[in-house]
Amino acid sequence: MPVDEHVLDLIPLYALGCLDEAETVAVAEHLSHCEQCWAEWQACQAVADDLALAAPDAAPGPHLHQQLLDRISPAPVKPEPPDWRQAFAGFWRQFSPVWGIAMVLVVVGLLAGGFWLWGQVNQADTAEFRTIAMIGAEAAPDASGLIIMSADGEYGSLVVDHLPSLDADQVYQLWLILDGERSSGALFSVSEEGYGVVEISATRLLSDFTEFGVTIEPAGGSPGPTGAKVLGGNAD
Amino acid sequence: MDYAKLSDESLIVLIARAQPHALSELYHRYNRLVFSLALNTVGDPATAEEVTLDVFTRIWQRADTYQAEQAKVTTWLSRIARNRAIDVLRRRSVRPEQHSVAWAEVHPQQLPNGHNPEKITELNLRRAQVRAAVAQLPLNQRQSLALAYFKGYTHQQIADELNQPLGTVKTRIRLAMNKLRKTLQGD
Repeated sequence: MPVDEHVLDLIPLYALGCLDEAETVAVAEHLSHCEQCWAEWQACQAVADDLALAAPDAAPGPHLHQQLLDRISPAPVKPEPPDWRQAFAGFWRQFSPVWGIAMVLVVVGLLAGGFWLWGQVNQADTAEFRTIAMIGAEAAPDASGLIIMSADGEYGSLVVDHLPSLDADQVYQLWLILDGERSSGALFSVSEEGYGVVEISATRLLSDFTEFGVTIEPAGGSPGPTGAKVLGGNAD
Repeated sequence: MDYAKLSDESLIVLIARAQPHALSELYHRYNRLVFSLALNTVGDPATAEEVTLDVFTRIWQRADTYQAEQAKVTTWLSRIARNRAIDVLRRRSVRPEQHSVAWAEVHPQQLPNGHNPEKITELNLRRAQVRAAVAQLPLNQRQSLALAYFKGYTHQQIADELNQPLGTVKTRIRLAMNKLRKTLQGD
């Protein structure tokens, strides 16, 4: 492969995570099939990882250890085995930003015949289900989401990533939009990593709705959107 | 069981089996590493302590996802810490002029040996090597690198912050990383 088709110049920045979104996707896609650049990235990532050792020395207060022990007890409840939606969502979340983009590209490419998902997909139809990408809004520019619905529109789930954790008196609310009318589809929170998955409920077929949005609302939800919008997506 | 004599990987295995003493030992070994990184990112000790708690809590919850063939435990820890600290920084929309980001002095405080002197000695040595390598970089490269690594800035954000052309910033970061790689890895 000619050198100018490689992404060697971008790899140091990719290892630091400081490329823009389009460059990140392009490099991730290239790394998925270029051994030379993959090896280069491995070496750069090792350098990036070492930078943690160059932060000025500091120590937390002695109380923190006990706080940690208090937080972890009782023993955490192990999650139930995932259903098919969570199994699909597992491909979405089982990654660091670096590896996950490539994995998502592979998974979505297998499902829909190959297309870019990270902030660029509108929708894809397969014989079994349909996906609608949601893009981070101004309040959460790094967030992303994916609505996965059955082909007949009867049921679906929302998978989100990189949403900030909310205070205890707040909740994320999914809105299903048709002809300007908004109805609530789900209330959810996210993990500390910003990941969440929730089943969508609606009084009509999900495939009827033309737009989807997620906002921050008071705990318990709101009759209509009142808070900052964090995710948005269109069905077509 | 003497947890202090166990390897980091063994501790992770025990943590995945919900052994709190294993988490305590891991915390004793690396709380300063995580806290230092968090503090240099978020800028205030209280938030850095929150991040540190979050990181070790996540280790407790997700120890079963650790894969030794992909990274050392310290690498895994520092990646989680960096990502979490940057997430908190972005969520709180802290402007960089409100606090500064810095590189450590070349000669680090020696971490207490504790019960695992070999591991700590190895870590102390690596810290010294990395800090010496960073100190050899030109100031403008160190600045760009610090904003990229500790603050999670994109290259465009760095260019805006330093009032430099985008191409210049990308070149500086690339040169810095290549220089560090040559110094630390010998290639």
